[in-house]
Amino acid sequence: MNQNVVMSVVLGISVVSAHAQGKLVMDGSTTVGPIAKAFAETYMRQNPGVNITVSESGSGNGAKALLNGTCDIANLSRHLKESEKKAMSEKGVKPVAHVVAFDALPVIVHPSNRVKGLTVDQIRDIYTGKITNWKEIGGGDQRIVVISRDTNSGTFETFKELVLGNDSKIVASAEYTGSNGGVRQRVQMTKGAIGYAGLGFVDRSVKALEVNGVVPSAESVIAKQYPISRELYMFTNGEPAADSLAAKLLSMSRTEKGREIIEEIGYVPVPGK
Amino acid sequence: MRLKLRKLLDRALTTCGYLAIGGMALFLLWVLVPVFTKGFGAYVFRGTVEHRRMMVGEFGRGDLDRLRAELAEVLRVRETVYQAVAAFERELDAMPAARRKALKPAFREVREGVSVLLGPEPGAPMPALTRRLYGQTRWEKAREKADDILFEETWVYSDAGSRRVLVPRAPQFEGTALAPVFTSLERDLAAMLRPRITVYPRFLTDRSIDAHFFGGIGPEVLGTLYLSLGALLVAVPLGIVAAVYFQEYAKEGPRVAFLRSCVNTLAGVPSVVFGLFGLAFFINTLHVSPGKSVLAGALTLALLVLPTVIRASEEAIAAVPRAYKEGAMALGAGRFRTVATVILPAALPGILTGIVISMGRAAGETAPIIFTAAVSVGQMVKPSEVLSQPTPALSWNLYNLCTEHEAVDELRHVQFGMAATLVLIVLALNLAAILLRARIARRLKG
Repeated sequence: MNQNVVMSVVLGISVVSAHAQGKLVMDGSTTVGPIAKAFAETYMRQNPGVNITVSESGSGNGAKALLNGTCDIANLSRHLKESEKKAMSEKGVKPVAHVVAFDALPVIVHPSNRVKGLTVDQIRDIYTGKITNWKEIGGGDQRIVVISRDTNSGTFETFKELVLGNDSKIVASAEYTGSNGGVRQRVQMTKGAIGYAGLGFVDRSVKALEVNGVVPSAESVIAKQYPISRELYMFTNGEPAADSLAAKLLSMSRTEKGREIIEEIGYVPVPGK
Repeated sequence: MRLKLRKLLDRALTTCGYLAIGGMALFLLWVLVPVFTKGFGAYVFRGTVEHRRMMVGEFGRGDLDRLRAELAEVLRVRETVYQAVAAFERELDAMPAARRKALKPAFREVREGVSVLLGPEPGAPMPALTRRLYGQTRWEKAREKADDILFEETWVYSDAGSRRVLVPRAPQFEGTALAPVFTSLERDLAAMLRPRITVYPRFLTDRSIDAHFFGGIGPEVLGTLYLSLGALLVAVPLGIVAAVYFQEYAKEGPRVAFLRSCVNTLAGVPSVVFGLFGLAFFINTLHVSPGKSVLAGALTLALLVLPTVIRASEEAIAAVPRAYKEGAMALGAGRFRTVATVILPAALPGILTGIVISMGRAAGETAPIIFTAAVSVGQMVKPSEVLSQPTPALSWNLYNLCTEHEAVDELRHVQFGMAATLVLIVLALNLAAILLRARIARRLKG
């Protein structure tokens, strides 16, 4: 076993010096972050000498990093916007989308909240300020504290597209939070709060609501029943060469181990061939 | 009468001063005591047998034979739990549908809880994530997880407000094959995990494993040192030269006044502006590195601390007695020679203090490195890679672990460990500044 470790260390270093492939930079979505981090750690565990770095700065910044050539893989929890595509084609960047997993956006509230489920329309009314108190929708007499992701995030874009509709404006009193984990913590600490975050971030400290009567879960995402579901992407500039580090990392989402990782984190792996 | 009033005012002022100082000290205590006591828990804690298993498995450290013996004993105690879970799974299949449906969700939670608490059952398929390969490594966490199995958290809703209630799970499974799980968890948890006071000094230098679930903060500590040293490497020569220019060469006039106000403005710029400037200028315009890098971060931090270095050096140079300079000049030394051989050495203690304080500042700053250097996951950066490689750093990763990480609540000990380490590094630097200053001052006097 020791021999093996030594061998792989030696191999890892020789690969680095021969092809300079020992390094990969990933940037972008905080939703895709856990997958990217777990893939990176798993890959580095198997290939010592390789250094994969992951930043979680939001989907918007991931797209910018790909545009400026400051990352190899951009993690996005939404597809590229038209404006981004245009900027990229002007700069000669050819974005290629790789779907790594499916995700749902559970709508979360404090566990003390007695409301069990909402409809998409009700959620829209809460976020646009038409409903301001939980008692209007079957809860206790408590003001609703609206928590949203920041407008730079793909999670926000998805929520806007699937729930709010593109012309609706979020109520001015809403709080914007810079990460999925941040939303979860804010809801976990605030009794009247409502928020939304990726599947991988929802644990027992908050209560995920049924939306249109459907519980957000891997099963309801696969069955396409949960109304706020989406794809998670990793973008590269051009199709990566077959033996490149980027290609190897991306292909992990299709391997059994990669799919297990995605599942253990809480997301839904892409169905096998 | 007037004398009395004056005395009274005097006393009031002194009291206010004492109150302010006392308030500050209290505030410091209030912030630092929990940071240090909880941060200490990352280095010294009650580690379970799972911690020792993890150390052998991931770092190859520890006594393998002793661990084997310990594991054998632990597994014997755990056997009750594993067997009960397996037996109940069979029993569940044979149950009438209604009862099966009622018990299945709770059973799933128990089974999941057991795997989180004790790690995967021997012989079960290996989980893909390293965080699931081992059970709870810390005793206080293990007890928390055991409670999650023993009790179900429910909420009782009423108009007066909701109340959290912990309902024991055992009665639900009374008389089934699962019942022994609850009794044995309550009775034998310590025998299943064997907590022991564990000292883990290498938390400071170990790499992190699976996004900080295990291991230490080595890459962060190293990254912080690189960044702050790199910032000084750039800022110190520039700062001292600027200070010498201001004090020795420049003639007072509108031009110098303008330059001075530039330096002062630079000192007042919010740090996040430096961060964005660093991204736009060093990375996107100058392309000093292909993406984020230690170099780009150090350059940005250098700009941030430059005003501090300039001001500290200026003050130190201004404090050098005139007689030194006149003496040197009288002996026929030129201006450059005077500066290099007389003034700078005499000003050294003051300059050094400024440098070390700026280093503490650079180590603690977060905003300037978010866009220029910091990443949430990455290996330790080798000295040969600093020009192109981004790095984790204490300040940024502390923020990341406290807000963005997917398992914020599981990693409290790492967060406090990072905070305490960062505060200690800055304190140590400041202490070094004081000692250094005293030492050089003594030597110069003697």
